[in-house]
Amino acid sequence: MDFALNDDQLAVEGALDKLAERFATSPVDFHGFALVSQELDNELEESQYFEIAAIPEMGPLSAALAVERLARLPYTAEIALSMLVRPHLDLELPRPIAVIENGRPGRYVASAKTLIVIDGDSVGIAHPTPDDVEALPDSLFAYPMGRLTGSPEVTPLPAEQAEAVRNWMRVACAAEMAGLLQAAVDATVEHISVRKQFGRPIGTFQALRHRIAECAVLTGGVRWLALKAAWSGDAGDAALAALHAQDSATRVIYDVHQMSGAMGMTLEMDLHLWTYRMKALISELGGRSGQAQAVAQHCFGASAA
Amino acid sequence: MDFAWTSEQESFRASVRQFIQDNLPDNWEHIAHGPASKEQSAFAKQFCGALAEAGLLVPHWPERWGGRDADPWIAFILAEEMWMAGEPRGGQYMNVNWIGPTLMLFGSEAQQERYIPPMARGETIWCQGFSEPESGSDLASLRTRAERVGDVYRINGQKIWTSYAGDADTCFLLARTSQGKGGISIFLLPMTTPGITVRDIPSIIGEGDIHEVFFDDVEVPESARLGEEGQAWEIVGKALSLERVGIPRFALASKTLADAVKLLQSRGSFGPGVAEQAAKAHAACEAARLYSYSIIDQRAKGIIAGAEASVGRFATVICERLVSEFVVEHVPEAISGAHPLLLAHHQRGIVAGIASGAAEIQLNLIATQFLELPREPR
Ligand SMILES: Cc1cc2nc3c(=O)[nH]c(=O)nc-3n(C[C@H](O)[C@H](O)[C@H](O)COP(=O)(O)OP(=O)(O)OC[C@H]3O[C@@H](n4cnc5c(N)ncnc54)[C@H](O)[C@@H]3O)c2cc1C
Repeated sequence: MDFALNDDQLAVEGALDKLAERFATSPVDFHGFALVSQELDNELEESQYFEIAAIPEMGPLSAALAVERLARLPYTAEIALSMLVRPHLDLELPRPIAVIENGRPGRYVASAKTLIVIDGDSVGIAHPTPDDVEALPDSLFAYPMGRLTGSPEVTPLPAEQAEAVRNWMRVACAAEMAGLLQAAVDATVEHISVRKQFGRPIGTFQALRHRIAECAVLTGGVRWLALKAAWSGDAGDAALAALHAQDSATRVIYDVHQMSGAMGMTLEMDLHLWTYRMKALISELGGRSGQAQAVAQHCFGASAA
Repeated sequence: MDFAWTSEQESFRASVRQFIQDNLPDNWEHIAHGPASKEQSAFAKQFCGALAEAGLLVPHWPERWGGRDADPWIAFILAEEMWMAGEPRGGQYMNVNWIGPTLMLFGSEAQQERYIPPMARGETIWCQGFSEPESGSDLASLRTRAERVGDVYRINGQKIWTSYAGDADTCFLLARTSQGKGGISIFLLPMTTPGITVRDIPSIIGEGDIHEVFFDDVEVPESARLGEEGQAWEIVGKALSLERVGIPRFALASKTLADAVKLLQSRGSFGPGVAEQAAKAHAACEAARLYSYSIIDQRAKGIIAGAEASVGRFATVICERLVSEFVVEHVPEAISGAHPLLLAHHQRGIVAGIASGAAEIQLNLIATQFLELPREPR
């Protein structure tokens, strides 16, 4: 066991930190939900970050570290699926990639070149035309949301590949959630450190100190579970990571908004960028009960209900 | 970053498992109830002797003291396996984890020669005399006095919640030699010294675990003092940094959960709702496990964990709570004695957020030291 980053991972982290600087603050005049950056996407594409999971010295663990790091930014792009799911399919899949789960709206659907279509137990791949999809610009989820309006041809994946998609979607969800949780906790720590009421920073009240400390404990736990799952590729680890991510996010989102007061309800503070991304991820793959069933199946040897 | 065990670590774990299997008696689950029952304490002495002979009691200690300088991972793997088996070392885990190493760092030569070899042979039980009726979390407010009278110290006062005091040979005692935090000193006090009275405190945790210890004009020579007068806070800080992730509670919690799940599956009561609760508890156990490993990794690299240790401790409290609540709700007969090992976990698990530093104190430390929030006004 070695919990420190190795030289390759440190190099990736250093490069990403540098890249992140340009995307680290939201524009003052931005008062919306989906803060997407095509420039960020281009940079990641050009520097071949979407390939790192396939590079032997890097692997999915480095990709998960990258996903976590980038998820802390106010700007977003279609990152997690391309970095963590695509490399595990033996198919040339053009990106952006989006998931349509049981017909629901999904992230990046309107711009996707590849759709992962999940319908009950079956998983297939489709390549939509612009006529097949529609953007949902009024969504509160802080991703560009879209839905499927047409019926593009769906090529079903064999069971083994379908399972791989589910597993790596879980890892992707957990890694992205780890970064979102961290960003939300960081923003809240900053807020309660400066916001004063009753003559003192509200972060000096123990009711809030304990609450934010608990949020930090959950956040770090999600990160470790996500990284371990990316490292092992094990279905049980993936399910545990996604479950802990969705479960922790459910609690942390509520707490950070409470601690941020009305300011957290505005589109000025950026908190919603992270919390409403998390809210989008909370329902993936059946939400907590879906992940719990996967844990039961893979860790407790129960048959899938 | 790498989550794999080395082959040395794996074979060490296998050898510990084998040892446990070969050395625990058939009726172990009836002995393991209550962490410090008379039977368990008696067994622990015999068991630790055998462990010592097999080189498995203190492998992480220096060769000079009977170890083989194994790294902290080895000590932790050992602790995981022991804890999962119901801690057959009894109170001696404290010697192994922190009392021995603390004496190596701060003890006089005479103290080291007197106390360390018997620990390394598994012959001796210590107790930790810190908490007092008025000083729990606020340990620095302790009042037990050690007054200098001629060439001895005369000790008066009371300790409480002292684990293993009924069986202990020696007490690692904190007593006040002057005012303030800097006025606390440590004494290595043989429990047979005249003036010491030990009273068992009946508790949920089981027979023989916690005690009151009274000190009435107990006299010890200066040579019983560990370190300098007033050095206790520094020494204890160091000692507790060894102790803070000392107990791999997550290991027993996760084994208990797995046992409970198997039981429920065998009787067809593991439906989706139950499975969801079990899955959440399992995830919490694994989060606590990784936190603990990350701190052991730091220790193996010579870094003394700071506030991360509190983060890991709190993660452990969460997992202990979820597992113990799961058993109470779904295998309630365990609490009435139907499954002694589940009961033994319950009795150990419920104190996770209290013993050796309450959960809320960990949260205070996380807020101040880890998140660096402005401090609470005093
Ligand atoms: C099984 C068991 C074994 C033990 N073994 C030993 C032993 O061998 N030797 C020994 O010396 N002690 C031992 N202890 C005692 C243990 O160290 C204390 O219980 C612990 O330090 C907490 O102190 P307390 O019980 O007095 O609780 P208190 O300090 O009274 O705390 C009660 C509650 O108040 C909260 N609280 C206190 N201060 C604050 C604060 N500043 N901010 C927020 N909340 C606060 C606590 O978190 C807790 O929730 C043992 C305890 C148990 C349960």
